[in-house]
Amino acid sequence: MDIFVQQLVNSLSVASVTILIGIGITLIFGLAGIVNFAHGEFLMVGGMATWFMVGAGMNFFVALVLAGLLVGALGFAAERCLFRFTLNRPMNGFIMSIGLSVILQHAVIRVFNEFQKSITDPVGLVWTIGGVDIIAMRAIVVAVTAVIVAITYFGISRSRYGMALRASVSDRDTAELMGIPVRRYVTGVFIYGSLLAGIGGALMISLFPITPFTGSVIIIRGFAVSLIGGLGNVGGAVVGGLVLGLVDGLSAGYGYPEWTDAYSLVVMILILVLRPQGLLGGTLGRKAS
Amino acid sequence: MRQLGLGLTMAAAGLAMALQTARADEELPIGVIAAQSGSFVSAGNTIVGAANLAAQQINDAGGIKVGDKTYKIKLYIRDNRTDVNVSIAAARELVNDIGVKAIWGTETHDFSVSMAKITGPAKVLQFSGNSSLGAVLDDKAVAEGGWLHYTFQSEPQEWQRSGSTAKGVLSLLTPQLKSPPKHSVVFVGNDATGQYLSSHYVKALEAEGQKVDLVQYPPDTTDFSPLLTRIKGMKPDIVHFWYNGDSTLTAFPQALKLGVAPSYFLFGVDPGIYQERSLKADVPVTMSCVPVCWGSSPYPEVKQYFDKYFGLGAAKGPQSSVSLLYYDYFFWYAKALEKVGKIDDPDAVVAELLKSDYKGVVSPVPLVFNKHHQVTFATEVCMVEPNTSDKFKCAVEQPPAAPPPGDNGG
Repeated sequence: MDIFVQQLVNSLSVASVTILIGIGITLIFGLAGIVNFAHGEFLMVGGMATWFMVGAGMNFFVALVLAGLLVGALGFAAERCLFRFTLNRPMNGFIMSIGLSVILQHAVIRVFNEFQKSITDPVGLVWTIGGVDIIAMRAIVVAVTAVIVAITYFGISRSRYGMALRASVSDRDTAELMGIPVRRYVTGVFIYGSLLAGIGGALMISLFPITPFTGSVIIIRGFAVSLIGGLGNVGGAVVGGLVLGLVDGLSAGYGYPEWTDAYSLVVMILILVLRPQGLLGGTLGRKAS
Repeated sequence: MRQLGLGLTMAAAGLAMALQTARADEELPIGVIAAQSGSFVSAGNTIVGAANLAAQQINDAGGIKVGDKTYKIKLYIRDNRTDVNVSIAAARELVNDIGVKAIWGTETHDFSVSMAKITGPAKVLQFSGNSSLGAVLDDKAVAEGGWLHYTFQSEPQEWQRSGSTAKGVLSLLTPQLKSPPKHSVVFVGNDATGQYLSSHYVKALEAEGQKVDLVQYPPDTTDFSPLLTRIKGMKPDIVHFWYNGDSTLTAFPQALKLGVAPSYFLFGVDPGIYQERSLKADVPVTMSCVPVCWGSSPYPEVKQYFDKYFGLGAAKGPQSSVSLLYYDYFFWYAKALEKVGKIDDPDAVVAELLKSDYKGVVSPVPLVFNKHHQVTFATEVCMVEPNTSDKFKCAVEQPPAAPPPGDNGG
């Protein structure tokens, strides 16, 4: 029983990082219509920046905020210089983002080197409760994710900005006629999604080492999470992340361990076959139906 | 005046051509194929680093005297971008267009085998540091006319490495544990190399009396906690993190936090990296390097080598020691060329390499190729004292004389 509960606890923290990248993708892809395959590299840059700042003596939590801001700025630059020119041609943007991901990988190798980077656990505590080991930093990652999810959810569903954004997705032309600066909103969404990737990278390096190639692995899971939940749906990304996290944790614990990645992708395929719009529905769902 | 000018121009052109020819005669083109980008870059860069250092040292020492000529090594380094197709294209270019006499590389079995299908028919020597080549280097393949006649494995056979490693790990850990270890879990990446290497290591541990469970993880895993929790439930005496140093460095701290086992073995993690990362465990931890650790050198020659290697700008990483799978063979090849007296007789060079030996940096005992073109040398295993990052006790274990029961040696 201890082992089973331990697996559930493990799954939560991993699901958190996946949820963060999933929210970024679901906002950028689902609301702004940009397929940014370099989003995983944005996360990696956030992690590398955190490693650099912590290595220079900065407090981890300060570095986390700065990494988010840095990657947000990177997102702003990418949107202004690259993706704004591809809004009407998403395939161009997709291919461009693949190129950007390779460039970012090798820029990081050039600036630092190719080896994996890690930081000392910023908290360094393990709580043992009823035979279950709870790593304090993992609990913090879950808490930070919960706060970000709440802010994002209420921002999208309740604020004027969120309403305008959803109106832009439903009918862009009408939204523009009503005075909504759609282009500026797209830029804002891109920056916010990138900022979340930066924070995700900082949280990730507090748990696991990262390499310049970490982003290319995590991006697949990010897209899986956003599609499972429903593109553009923040709640959907949370559900998608939890589903994948639990499937990963329990399959690694009780299934064929070498197939761990396959189990979650099989679940993704099944969900998309049975519910093409995702579990909670999203912007793509409405168009598909 | 015009005729004088023309004559001088022709004379200058003739002199330039003669100088050019003389310079070309003195160049020994050698290819290096290694990942300088892509996911194998940390291993690939070590091959390039070793090649640059060896070529510089040979050239600075006056070059290679072959017959009445002196040759300077000119390296043609190609980035395989961690892509087998790029490796093949690079091998074709080096062999067919540039005409290299030998190729060093590359990081992984599949790529090296693909390259050998190009170097073999062209009679270009190939030095590859993949222990998994043992699966294909047999009597027929290395015979004259065989497709691997010109290929040499610069790393010991896997059953030898596994055997000496298992022996070293158990001999260092047993006195540290309350009771002799009986149950080992081998934790390994589920790719072609991981499957091949672990098949030998499991047999080697079983030969040492261990009950062994094998747990494989998908390559590129970063969160090992679910799998480690599963292993914890198996109640092992030792968890052996096998094969991929980078993955091990990710998984090991997670294992410590979850308290998975009373002792660990980290394959491919150098004591230097353990120290640099300030890793600490409250239980005994052993580690070994491929082939010799830079962070705790057993021999003065190894320390001098790594001082020079890092002095050239190579990064300190878990795989830096892999460079020693490539370095010595430049000097051995040069020695063979000098003995043969020609650079255009690859059959004679192969024969000379097979009958000669070379005392290199990687081993205090001279290196010798066996009939399957494979070398043998010992493995260094180190143990770090609990709750320290820099107090190591190291032992050099000789390989067993024969493969363990159930291991066909290939």
